[in-house]
Amino acid sequence: MNAAVAKTVASKAAAHAPTADPGVAHIFARGIAVDFVVEGRPQRALNDINLTVSKGSFVSLIGPSGCGKSTLLKVMAGLITPTEGEMRVSGVSPQDAVKAKLIGLVFQEATLLPWKNAIENAAFLLMTADETIKRGEAMDRAAAMLRLVGLEGAENKGPSQLSGGMRQRVAIARALALDPEVLLMDEPFGALDAITREEMSECLLDIWERTHKTVVLVTHSIDEAVYLSREVHVMGTGPGRIIETLPILLPHPRSEESYSNPAFSAAEGRLRSLLIESHRKGRA
Amino acid sequence: MSEATLDIFPRQSAASFRRWLNSIMPALGLSAGVLIFWEVVIRLFSVPTFVLPAPTAIIDALIANRGALAVAAQATALEVVLGFVLSALVGILVALVIVRFERFGKALYPLVVLFQNVPKVALAPIFILWFGYDLAPKVLLIVVIAFFPVAIDMLVGLQSVEPAFVALMRSVGASKGKILLRVRIPHSLPHLMAGLKVAITFSVIGAIVGEFAGANQGLGYVIQFASTQLDTPLIFAALIVVSVLGLAFYYIIEFAERWLVPWAPKFDPIHSAG
Repeated sequence: MNAAVAKTVASKAAAHAPTADPGVAHIFARGIAVDFVVEGRPQRALNDINLTVSKGSFVSLIGPSGCGKSTLLKVMAGLITPTEGEMRVSGVSPQDAVKAKLIGLVFQEATLLPWKNAIENAAFLLMTADETIKRGEAMDRAAAMLRLVGLEGAENKGPSQLSGGMRQRVAIARALALDPEVLLMDEPFGALDAITREEMSECLLDIWERTHKTVVLVTHSIDEAVYLSREVHVMGTGPGRIIETLPILLPHPRSEESYSNPAFSAAEGRLRSLLIESHRKGRA
Repeated sequence: MSEATLDIFPRQSAASFRRWLNSIMPALGLSAGVLIFWEVVIRLFSVPTFVLPAPTAIIDALIANRGALAVAAQATALEVVLGFVLSALVGILVALVIVRFERFGKALYPLVVLFQNVPKVALAPIFILWFGYDLAPKVLLIVVIAFFPVAIDMLVGLQSVEPAFVALMRSVGASKGKILLRVRIPHSLPHLMAGLKVAITFSVIGAIVGEFAGANQGLGYVIQFASTQLDTPLIFAALIVVSVLGLAFYYIIEFAERWLVPWAPKFDPIHSAG
């Protein structure tokens, strides 16, 4: 990639830089650093992370292994407390956002409970989060979410009767049943085969367009990031940081035709060169 | 409705019975072969009965002593049931305490493992010394032998919940107690059942060893008494009763497993390796 293009992209990224007011941004991070203790010594996993995600946006975090993208997601989810810096979700701390059921989480593994069927799994977190909710009400909500992820008719199937893609759909329905404002997804399709992956991208796009939740997606897949996101944060290693923020100018609504749009290949090429660069630096 | 059920049910069960018969045929055939070979060798070389009785002699002893063996089996079965239930309770309790109270667990776990390395058969005379010839020393011996597999398997089950799921539970504000109750305990049940299957066989062993050490009833007592009389056929007859007893207890647990944890992966010893 030539330097001129890189510069224009960089200046565009600067416009999205976290100068925004934390009150407006749905997710706001300023100066986030995370230290892990490895063999008795503190090691910096994330350094000086600044980002804002506006309400209803779809943002991806992409980067080589060990760049701390999952760690950043866990900070947003309140599962890791940062060593330095400030994280705000809907204007409150992640821990408070979790208590207010503002955050839904999806991981790489669906982690469904084998002794519960699809609908009970989809309702499980909601019933755990809200002790006062009636079972029937939780089940109704879970059923609606299963319909949303395209699992109508599979409500009473056990996890062992579902395919990998269907299990992951239940996991997404389980997160959506909380009716969160923010959906945080850590490589949700990483364990699926290529075709199922594309199908799930389609499904996720559909959910996002219908519900307009704020979504943060951690992924290894450039295609997935470009196809789904409005903005991609490219991360680098040593220590983990955001090296560039790339707006994806692919028009909405997106569909399978979007893959052949010139904007798609432009963004894909740019992301690829950034990732290769960051990967090389990581090895050096 | 009842007509259809009546019509279909016998055919289905007949088919499944035939399938079951087919599946046990190889084992039955091999057993019959071994028994016939055994009988032939004893008769051919006229091996003295007190050294090794022929299968027919063992069956004779079984029939002749059926009353005494039934009484002895009852006594042993009572010890096994009491010992097993107590072992299960102690094992489950130890596992729950270790998981729920992490600090205390760190102190308790090495002690449990250390205790497991004491040869517990050697404790039998001490228990006899403390509690006499009654039920108590046998039940206690069973507990010290059989609680360990229950505790270890339950512990594995409690701790092998996927960390991602624990994170998910924490993300909606679930306390440790709630995660234990709603996720860890149900998740541990298939592991617990595996531990109980080991424990039930250990319980039978414990009962027999306890009776060897000092008793006035039970199958272990019959075996020891018969050996002092050089009544080898009776020893073998008692061994058969012990085996049948053990097998019956084992399948009760397996039946309970299918009923309690239908989601547990089915164990197929022959085909699982392939």
